[in-house]
Amino acid sequence: MNNPGISETPPLVVLPVPRAQRGQRLFLFYSSAVLLTGVVSWLFADLLWRTGWSASRTLLLALFVVLFLFAAIGCMHGVYGFFLQIFGTRRRITRLKDYRGQDISGTSTAIVFPIYNEDIVRVYEGMRVTYESLQKTGQLERFDLFILSDTTDPDKRVEEERRWCDLIRELDALGRIYYRRRLSNEGRKSGNVRDFLNAWGRRYRYFMVCDADSIMRGETLVDLVKLMEVHPTVGLIQTVPAVVNAESLFGRIQQFANRLYAPVFIAGLNYWARDLGNYWGHNAIIRTEPFMQYCDLPQLPGRKPFGGQILSHDFVEAALMVRENWEAWFAYDLEGSYEEAPQAMIDNAQRERRWCQGNLQHGLVLFARGLRGVSRLHLMLGICGYLAGPLWLAFLLTFNWIRWFHRYTGLSDIPAVHAFTPYLNLTGTAHALLIFIICMVVIMFPKFLALIDLAQDWERRRAFGGLYRATISVVAETAFSTLHAPLLMLWHTRFVVTNLFGASVGWGPQVRAADGTTWAFAIQRHWGHTVIGVVWGAFMWSLEPSLFWWFTPVLAGLVLSIPLSVLTSRRSLGARARRFGLFLTPEETGPPPELVALRSRLRVHELTEDITTSPRRPHASLAEAVLDPYMNAVHVTLLFERRLNPVYAEQLAAMGVGSPKISVLAEKVLAEGPDKLTPEERRLIMADPATMEWLHRQAWLRPDESLAPWWKAMMREFSQREI
Amino acid sequence: MTGLGTLTDASGRLAGRSLEEWNAAYEKVENYFHALRVRNKALLGQLVLRVLERAARRAPAEPGRPASLIAAEEMDHLVTEWFAEVLQVSPAGSDQTLSTRGRLALLLADMPGRWQDQFLRPGPWPDEFVSAMRESFLRAGPDFQLSKMTPRPLDLGPIATLTNLGRIPYVRMVLVWLLFGLMLAGIFWLTH
Repeated sequence: MNNPGISETPPLVVLPVPRAQRGQRLFLFYSSAVLLTGVVSWLFADLLWRTGWSASRTLLLALFVVLFLFAAIGCMHGVYGFFLQIFGTRRRITRLKDYRGQDISGTSTAIVFPIYNEDIVRVYEGMRVTYESLQKTGQLERFDLFILSDTTDPDKRVEEERRWCDLIRELDALGRIYYRRRLSNEGRKSGNVRDFLNAWGRRYRYFMVCDADSIMRGETLVDLVKLMEVHPTVGLIQTVPAVVNAESLFGRIQQFANRLYAPVFIAGLNYWARDLGNYWGHNAIIRTEPFMQYCDLPQLPGRKPFGGQILSHDFVEAALMVRENWEAWFAYDLEGSYEEAPQAMIDNAQRERRWCQGNLQHGLVLFARGLRGVSRLHLMLGICGYLAGPLWLAFLLTFNWIRWFHRYTGLSDIPAVHAFTPYLNLTGTAHALLIFIICMVVIMFPKFLALIDLAQDWERRRAFGGLYRATISVVAETAFSTLHAPLLMLWHTRFVVTNLFGASVGWGPQVRAADGTTWAFAIQRHWGHTVIGVVWGAFMWSLEPSLFWWFTPVLAGLVLSIPLSVLTSRRSLGARARRFGLFLTPEETGPPPELVALRSRLRVHELTEDITTSPRRPHASLAEAVLDPYMNAVHVTLLFERRLNPVYAEQLAAMGVGSPKISVLAEKVLAEGPDKLTPEERRLIMADPATMEWLHRQAWLRPDESLAPWWKAMMREFSQREI
Repeated sequence: MTGLGTLTDASGRLAGRSLEEWNAAYEKVENYFHALRVRNKALLGQLVLRVLERAARRAPAEPGRPASLIAAEEMDHLVTEWFAEVLQVSPAGSDQTLSTRGRLALLLADMPGRWQDQFLRPGPWPDEFVSAMRESFLRAGPDFQLSKMTPRPLDLGPIATLTNLGRIPYVRMVLVWLLFGLMLAGIFWLTH
């Protein structure tokens, strides 16, 4: 749309800075992984060779090489990160320049919270603690907060408006915390942010994207702005959010793993990425101007699920920013950035499913011309994270096939003469065991290094409940992740296969409550895993009982998936583990003020609202927006404001807002009740400010006899409400 | 002039309406004030009676109209006139917008919490209340500074070629055959 009010700004150009060191670091890092993979694959090939080569063994070796390379890359992140943590490095954004004294008085930053049918109490309370924390820094006037709603549920829409109004009144934050709801959800989250940028982006030098569950410490926000100010060629800084507020056992295990292992891994990631880092979609600060100029996402060619809109927009946006020579950094040593994570295995899988589609879609962008090699690596690693599952399954099945083929064809292994084994002086079983141990070490070693890293730091050690408890927790976490891994393998395989066959992923809100999974729901979601585990186990036993025991970690995870899923989702077990000092994190042993405030506010809501809330009648949101004199005023004012944006005005006109037919609908809704209207008609009425004003007046003016019985019932309810 | 101060007539009617009708009118007006969070019972009763007084005065002149409708209209007029007075705007021709603005001002000035005693009271009002009411406004966002983000062309390289292949007729069918052939070859390879 051409709009006369739209401003044009000449493109900002940043010239490339010399990056001589990058090639060496990348070479060193990935060569370490390749070297390790080469040596172990060599041993594995020798194991296969000693029992006679075959085509299926070639396939098995190829799968092993790829899978081991993934594991080795992960291991190297741990190893490099560990040494950087121990010996320190200046190659991080917080150490490059002294930023603490930087003046930010001339800056303006928008903190945006894109939301979509979320638990609005939790979102607003998170926003409240962020706001209050920012207030304490004395720099509040440099920031504006925006709730960018894409909510489609009419009840939630009205609740969002009501609670926003309450929030700004309580915080005296009128003109500081804004609320905007879009008319359509075009482009989902990235479209939501883009819509914000189109309307207000040019007012702000920086913007900070937060998720619905994000919490940011005020000082951290100020530090991020200072860092951007002292580094004018930096386009974005991604913080590493700490997972917090987990209560279920699953949630606490994930939270512990995130808090203990992430510093080492991200230090490793920062080693090779440095100023060509990545963006994870939230808890990151972005320079508005280059983002607006270079990071609008193109539509991908082809049909869904690969073509069309880019779902996992963050990686691609970072790649586009970096392509134009803007730097992207991980501020992994900046504390005070928090997020929440799923509380149950099934919720986690639901999130994985969405991410899987987004990451696989990156395959189309991977070879885009002009992208930096490091950006391609970020994209590639994201894809590999989901391809590893099906490849692991293929590896296990190929191995099973080889054993079955030998057993049922009656062929015996032909010991090869020219193998390395005689030099190693190993039996076949010892040889296999050696490779197995190496694989386990490669997978577990970073966890061990994270523990050593913890042991070096007395304060941090205490924050994790002491080294002894942390060690026990690592062992328990490793046991759990061993059982969880085969489930992820099957889930990822399913997600990848369904995506490849063209099935798209629905964009549902994430379930983050810690109420726990019911047995019925777990059976519904896991019966397939259990059956696969039992059948596979029986097959292995019948094939070769000694082989069966090698497979028990995989089989146990599948067979026990139902109780595992239910029990780990329980808050009570999470609390019990906490009493035993297991899976403690720094935010649990010494909660920061922001989290304490959030918890107590949510508790107040629980105590005051749950008791009084009765089941809502159908169309309660319409009743609230019409009958409640204050809610109606807020709703109508927001609708009038929305029309000031020419883009929205155009969309509203296209919807039919202001057309004569709305009067007919309004009369109908009064006389016959909202049930007689279609959802589309109800939406139209609620989008028209004049009609909503008129309805408020008429509903209270007209005699009861001329109103539908529904109105009378709702009127009684509203007039008796104790608010 | 008939009012609520007058006793019922011989037929038990008040201002030409039955007591049941006035009861319904009372309930309607009370419900609205209750929805405005006027919680003080003495004040609430006083306000409702004030509205009904006005309605009762009007009722004899409009015999065909129910008391609750007249009372609701009087309540609407009373509230809107009061908004106009407090906010210093003319009530004529802008009733609806004025009512919205007034209700919003009541909310933002925290009438239910702090200024219940001032609601519908004739002036003068405390300065703090007046300024809270007059300065109340709700802004969902700062002034727009409109722009238009446009995606830059992204050459997808070989992938674009691959996606274009899908547009050639029968390519998909041939691909399925190829896959089938590869599967046969794979099984043969694995089993020999």
